Amino acid sequence: MRIYVILLTLLLLVSAFVAPVRAEVTAIKAGKILTISGEPITDGVILIENGKIAEIGTGIEIPEDAAVIDAGKSVVMPGLVDASAAAPVRGDLNEQSSEITPTFRISEALDPQSKVLKRVVQTGVTTLFVSPGRQNVIGGLGVVVKPTGKIPQQMIVKDEAALTVVMDMDPTQGNRIPRGQAPTTFYFRRPGTRMAIIWMLRKSFFDARQQADSEQTEDPNLAILSEVLKDKIPIHVNARRAIVIRAALKVADEYGLKLILQECTEGYKVAGQLAERKIPVVLGPFYYYPGNMGQYREGRKVNWNNAGILAEAGVKVALSSGEQSGAIDILTAATFAVRHGMDRDEALKAITITPAEILGVADRVGSLEKGKDADIVILSGDPLNVTTRVEKVILNGKTVYQ
Amino acid sequence: MKSRSHITFASILLIVFITGSLAYAAPVRKKLAVEVGRIITIAGKDIKNGVILIEDGTIKAVGTDVEIPWDAFVIEAKDKVVMPGFVMAHTSSGLDRANENMPEVPFISTFDSIDPISTFFEDSLRDGVVAMLVLPGNNTLLGGTGTIVKPYGRTVEAMLIKRYAGLKISLLPSQSTSRMGHMQRFRRYVSDLKDYLEEYEQKKADAKEDKKPFDEEIDVTKQSMVDLLNKKLTAFVYCDRAADVPKAIEIQKTNELNTVLVLGPDCYKAAGLIAKSKLPVVLDSQLIVWETNEKTNEEEMKVVPMIFHKAGVKFAFQTDSSQYGRRYLWYQAAIAVKHGMKREEALKSITLYPAQFIGVDNRLGSIETGKEATMIFLTGDPLDAQSWVDQVMIAGEIVYEKDKDERLKKLLEPPLVIQEPKDTD
Repeated sequence: MRIYVILLTLLLLVSAFVAPVRAEVTAIKAGKILTISGEPITDGVILIENGKIAEIGTGIEIPEDAAVIDAGKSVVMPGLVDASAAAPVRGDLNEQSSEITPTFRISEALDPQSKVLKRVVQTGVTTLFVSPGRQNVIGGLGVVVKPTGKIPQQMIVKDEAALTVVMDMDPTQGNRIPRGQAPTTFYFRRPGTRMAIIWMLRKSFFDARQQADSEQTEDPNLAILSEVLKDKIPIHVNARRAIVIRAALKVADEYGLKLILQECTEGYKVAGQLAERKIPVVLGPFYYYPGNMGQYREGRKVNWNNAGILAEAGVKVALSSGEQSGAIDILTAATFAVRHGMDRDEALKAITITPAEILGVADRVGSLEKGKDADIVILSGDPLNVTTRVEKVILNGKTVYQ
Repeated sequence: MKSRSHITFASILLIVFITGSLAYAAPVRKKLAVEVGRIITIAGKDIKNGVILIEDGTIKAVGTDVEIPWDAFVIEAKDKVVMPGFVMAHTSSGLDRANENMPEVPFISTFDSIDPISTFFEDSLRDGVVAMLVLPGNNTLLGGTGTIVKPYGRTVEAMLIKRYAGLKISLLPSQSTSRMGHMQRFRRYVSDLKDYLEEYEQKKADAKEDKKPFDEEIDVTKQSMVDLLNKKLTAFVYCDRAADVPKAIEIQKTNELNTVLVLGPDCYKAAGLIAKSKLPVVLDSQLIVWETNEKTNEEEMKVVPMIFHKAGVKFAFQTDSSQYGRRYLWYQAAIAVKHGMKREEALKSITLYPAQFIGVDNRLGSIETGKEATMIFLTGDPLDAQSWVDQVMIAGEIVYEKDKDERLKKLLEPPLVIQEPKDTD
């Protein structure tokens, strides 16, 4: 009797270990596959093995034991990449104790159970860039994640993907004296002017450079900034108005920084310069009029075709949700960008491969190619149509939304 | 040479000016025939390659076999889709201020507050809206009466469709009042009003008995509420939360009012109740609501129009001019279609139904013989984001043309210089 139990346990154990070794193959048959990296494929097949795309194209033989997803006439495209997503974090995103906090990592605050992640998946987003809040001059290090996994480590695609810097007026927010208190309190220490914001930024990099020269790396803040100066980490700069964008370009020139511009409401005014310097932009959130914006109404002159003009000038443009959950999804953002004049293919790239390139994860996501992660969205029709539904989302080869 | 070019330029300018002014000075054509690629009539089936015959701003005939009279001016729109203009059954935009500070002001009217140069009206016309009921905001118990306008005209008088339409009641307690106090205030107002009317009728009867002339008029501050009780006005009752819906229904039943419910995003939870009451509904502009399922801890997407559609409620859509997408009525309809609503029904919810709710369906809301020649010319399907409103016709007159929309051009075209001079430091 006992021997049977032992045998049975052994058998179970063996089978448990053997099963994962045999690669599970999933095949997706679809009427139309938008690879983004190349021409669209009609009546194609995608083979998924170990969460990666093993094969893609027409006339591919489907293995007998493969699980087949027949997408019928649906449109298949790579999972969307949101280069500025709402943070799946509980609590505040802005550290109030200092304006210069480069060592802070949003990756340490990720909440895999966050509602934001569960929602974002349903809009077709499979990769997102999460940044610390944008109320500090240097907010901290952002991370590229996928909305999957039980612990934060499983979510992370790339940590230290970018350093969040704000040059808009947001760091002055909350800078007021609480009623009946002396102006020496905690709330009255933030910078109050754009001069101060830019000075603080400059000073930080100046100090970092000085320390790098003296080869003493005592201050961890400066150590991170040194990494930035060495071009290892790009800086994600929030800049809405043209004057701020110009200021950002100047600071970047002074210190040789690798810039990614965020929001860029007035980017169309400096499209030529941005193209010349090959500076990518992440647009969003989107507004019709400055009156719809927040407190400072920065970017007084809105151009609805901002994305189109920038792309036309040769700037790498990504369309994002602008850290807003519940606002329009990025597929809709692309739809409206096309309505306002952006090229169709550019708009599709702007929510897939371009943000992946900007975030430095294009080797894994952003297009449907052999060897890339099997992050796939199945749509009921043309992606740039409001009436099109997200039917299925596959993340790392597994169906996560249906 | 130089002077010659100046003369040429001046003469070109002159010609442009003369032709331009001629085009604008042209009177409204008496007889019009519009040849259209596709007519979405709303009243019936779509018509391919049809003709709409218009006389004195009214539709005389619609169909494929309509004979064009020799004296009619023909508008060719064979590459266009024509449909009745969109109607907004409820908006508080375009007002100087939407809410009065006092809670009971049924005597005020949005007519006095509408700002004709507000970009809201300009945008509405650009987006294909041809009529809207402008009501006071949601923060006042008895907010005042509404005005139906078209988003075209330099003065409120020129925009006017109906001067006195709808009365706004809001069940959202304002400022420091509680929901209890708010409802009580309403009941008390109505009971006082009924007492006043009783007294008034008594006085009238007494005067008749004494054979004295009776010339006392109803208090002007109460007139609109009296009209509401007499069903001369429709109540637009705003429900902020689902819990307000039963109260709104109670108000409607006890006072026998003509009622349209204006709902907040949360009110989808009361869809069954609303369906039972058979009241028409204006939905909130937010059509997708996320809810956490407490059992599974999953995030569930609630599609508000689908919930009401399935419950059998007749509704109209609302917009939010500040939000991308939601600003357009066609987008709202497209969202509903995306989640499974029938196309025809969704289109009715932005044309015919709102027109019915605000009582202008005898003139607007569909393309039919006898209705006003108010329609929009689209470059493609109305639910496609890549379609634009090319022209808007109101009562036989073209009042908007995309080609001449300078503001839109400015919003879409690149600035003249995208390469700035380099820094020289």
